Amino acid sequence: MINQAMLSMLWDATLDTLIMVGSGTILATVVGLPAGILLTTTAPNHILEQPLLHRALGGIVNIGRSIPFIILMVAIIPFTRKLVGTSIGTAAAIVPLTVAAIPFVARLVDGALKEVDAGVIEAAESMGASPPQIIYKVMIPEALPALVLAVTLTAVNLIGYSAMAGSIGGGGLGDLAIRYGYQRFRGDIMLITVIILVILVQGIQMLGDKIAHKLYHHN
Amino acid sequence: MIRFNNVTKTFSGKTTVHALRGIDLAIPAGEIFGVIGQSGAGKSTLLRCINMLERPDSGEIFVDGIRMSDLDGKELRAARKKTGMIFQHFNLLNSRTVFQNIAFPLELAGYSKKNILERVASLANLVGLTDKLKSYPRQLSGGQKQRVGIARALATQPKLLLCDEATSALDPETTTSVLNLLKTINERLKLTIVLITHEMAVIQQICDSVAVLDDGVVQEAGPVIDVFTRPKSEASQRMLRGFLTSGLTPDQLQRSGNTLLKLTFVDEKAHQPIISQMIRRHQIDANILFGSIDQMKTKPFGMLLVELAGKNEQIAQAIEFLQENQVEVEVLNR
Repeated sequence: MINQAMLSMLWDATLDTLIMVGSGTILATVVGLPAGILLTTTAPNHILEQPLLHRALGGIVNIGRSIPFIILMVAIIPFTRKLVGTSIGTAAAIVPLTVAAIPFVARLVDGALKEVDAGVIEAAESMGASPPQIIYKVMIPEALPALVLAVTLTAVNLIGYSAMAGSIGGGGLGDLAIRYGYQRFRGDIMLITVIILVILVQGIQMLGDKIAHKLYHHN
Repeated sequence: MIRFNNVTKTFSGKTTVHALRGIDLAIPAGEIFGVIGQSGAGKSTLLRCINMLERPDSGEIFVDGIRMSDLDGKELRAARKKTGMIFQHFNLLNSRTVFQNIAFPLELAGYSKKNILERVASLANLVGLTDKLKSYPRQLSGGQKQRVGIARALATQPKLLLCDEATSALDPETTTSVLNLLKTINERLKLTIVLITHEMAVIQQICDSVAVLDDGVVQEAGPVIDVFTRPKSEASQRMLRGFLTSGLTPDQLQRSGNTLLKLTFVDEKAHQPIISQMIRRHQIDANILFGSIDQMKTKPFGMLLVELAGKNEQIAQAIEFLQENQVEVEVLNR
């Protein structure tokens, strides 16, 4: 039933999923982290108070988060094509995955940074710390466990999204599950892909929890 | 050292709060200066105006000759590096060890690794935490956390230390040890300390001078011994009443319709038999309800709650007699 060719297909699909999720997570963090920092620090009474910018950023993040992934993916096909030259395949799938994850990351980062004790930030201000120093030396280190968990959550979410991306030719485990498991009635393939997805999610979550726990020095 | 000239600050939100309504205050260098008031009196705002964590709406504040409200950005950060601050909830960085917490202001000030190492070691020694340098704040008790806070505040050798309810989250024993540490620092480093508190005992234990803040106004200010023994403002009398009668209210103390007096003796007056003279001369009965001899930083003073029974004119004469003998008299139930 499961022959060598099948196994190698499963292996390739797993790798594709990991590449999509990994790149998507990294790219979304690179953009979403600063966006989240800006979102927090421009809020009223925060260190870079900018009410207009804050509201605009918050609006963009909310809009981005309210568009269902499957629609976003189709809607930005022209943009994806411009960027990677094609709208099919693993590389192309990374674009919508990243775009969808950026506002998600930004909101999670915002949430994590808001949890940093205002008193600690005030203490740093009282010592003459500049806003960049407060961000890099106080807010990020203090929120680091929560930030790690935010990235973990993003990666887990992107695993789900990547399966959706598979349905429009994005490659990876979702693609395999639909083409073989569903369209060719291969229940066994479907089952194996689901099992691999479960293992991936578990593995990523466990890794994230472990790192966060190591970094956690609060009460 | 610090001068407030007609400083006002209003917070407008859902309800408008006039935190400071024209503060005039001078804080001499080298003193431990206490600001006491109930919650909502504006103490916290007053303290934060000194290092511009809160910007006053009007008026001016001078610290060491510098007009603080003129400073902005870089200059303000430079000025803040010369002022230490400690907090009720310590506000340590949980992600950093004790060593790293004390080193934090030194990093901000651009000290070299080697200088940081030396400076942190000497500070840890000063506050008695040499064996805790590798611990994280969560592994420390409240008193130890505040010692880290103090070491951190002193790291850049400031001339001024601001204490924001620094002992309010600590138990009485730890409070005393932290207060003693502040006293030592004040004497050894010639550091001016401004502390705000709602606890009379804190003022009593270490302050040289005190300002009583109520409803955004300094009701009175002066040496602790004067304000505590001869409170002039209604606000100070109200606050002191509870403090000096160990929590008993006049209602609780009074069982009859007799006149209830609070008598305060300072220095050598505490040693003279004034009460018995009063009883003999004016033929009245006196019942002592509560008494204490206390210390204001270094000066002794005594306090008595006395119930007087007799004819009204005799009582009036007795009160006059006490006042002639420099005993501070406050009638609690008139």
